[in-house]
Amino acid sequence: MADNLWALREQKKLSVATMASRAGLSIGLIMEYESGHRSIDPRHLSKLARALYVDEADIKLNTEPRPGTGPLERQVRRDEYRSAPAPAIQAAAPPKPSERAPRTPRAPLPPRIAAPPRPSQLAHLQDLLTRLGRSQADVEAEHGKPLAELDRLTVSALLGKLQTEYRAGKVVERRRAHLPEAVDQFELKYLTAVQEANASLNLTLFDGSHLTGQLIGFGPYNFTLRQADGAEVTVAKLALVCYTRVPEAGGSQEPGA
Amino acid sequence: MSLSDYLRILRARRGGITPLDIEAATGVDKGLYRQMEQRYRAVGDDDTLRRLADFYDVPFEALRWRLDWPRKALSRALVQVIGENNPIRLELSDGQVVAGAVKWWDLGAIGVETPDGEWVVQRHAVEKWSPRAQEDTLAADADNDADVED
Repeated sequence: MADNLWALREQKKLSVATMASRAGLSIGLIMEYESGHRSIDPRHLSKLARALYVDEADIKLNTEPRPGTGPLERQVRRDEYRSAPAPAIQAAAPPKPSERAPRTPRAPLPPRIAAPPRPSQLAHLQDLLTRLGRSQADVEAEHGKPLAELDRLTVSALLGKLQTEYRAGKVVERRRAHLPEAVDQFELKYLTAVQEANASLNLTLFDGSHLTGQLIGFGPYNFTLRQADGAEVTVAKLALVCYTRVPEAGGSQEPGA
Repeated sequence: MSLSDYLRILRARRGGITPLDIEAATGVDKGLYRQMEQRYRAVGDDDTLRRLADFYDVPFEALRWRLDWPRKALSRALVQVIGENNPIRLELSDGQVVAGAVKWWDLGAIGVETPDGEWVVQRHAVEKWSPRAQEDTLAADADNDADVED
């Protein structure tokens, strides 16, 4: 037996909005169907039946309005309800521009007093001047007043200028590894100095023999010496025990025990 | 001299043989021989050392004691003597002894200031040294105690 649309919807505990969403119809149309103002379009019947999980024959095409109710008003959708302004807020709404009182001009601000430099700025400034080898008196003469009487912004600008100057003049050295077993720069530096001085080395080899000659080249794994007779000898470092620089006066050394 | 340096020298004396060849010939685990040569800390167990001793035809003990004197231990000793401003005594592979203050050291060599001038000693030629770093001394004492208990 066919039943009213609103009765079926309430049996299924659905809101108008949910049913409209499931059926793919507008809320207003559903409300018109439920109020009996409009008979259900046969094309929409199958959609409503699917939304309510009933047969099409279970839905009356001409719905009778719910007893005891007046003409139905459109239900407020949840999102509309949320976005609707609260009455209190409406009451507190600002007046329209035409209703506002004319704005009084603001009193002019008193002239800004420059802040004195921070003690940390002064300490940093003096440290930088010391590092740069400049005297405090020169800087004070340049600015025409003692450092402590300069304002904070001036000191900040001066600090920036001096820091740039300090960085530009600073020699950046290669950072030494915690354990220099990861680098070979120390031996390289020693050998470079020997080669640049055209000095000679006295090498002691694993087999107990010695080689003396001018260092003319070296790499990570070998040395090349030019001996007194002009012969060039390349020795693998793995075959070396130790070596020493031959003093300018001549003569080789044996390490002290 | 550390075990790794000694193995490098033994392999160099064989001429042209690679770590892979040695692993294949001795049955040492793949990659282990290369680690024993290249790592700064002590790597290797007695079984592996016996196989390598047979391969190179050297006494097992000639390899075994070097495990207690790895390159890392020499680094620690160098850091300690520099920090304490003490001299070091290096016993070299050819029997020489170099004693003096360490001026610098790096990956391959140590600069030692002796009364006869500055000597550059190749790290791989250092057999033993004294003093050892404190932590290595403590570890060695602990090993000795364990040996006594066993």
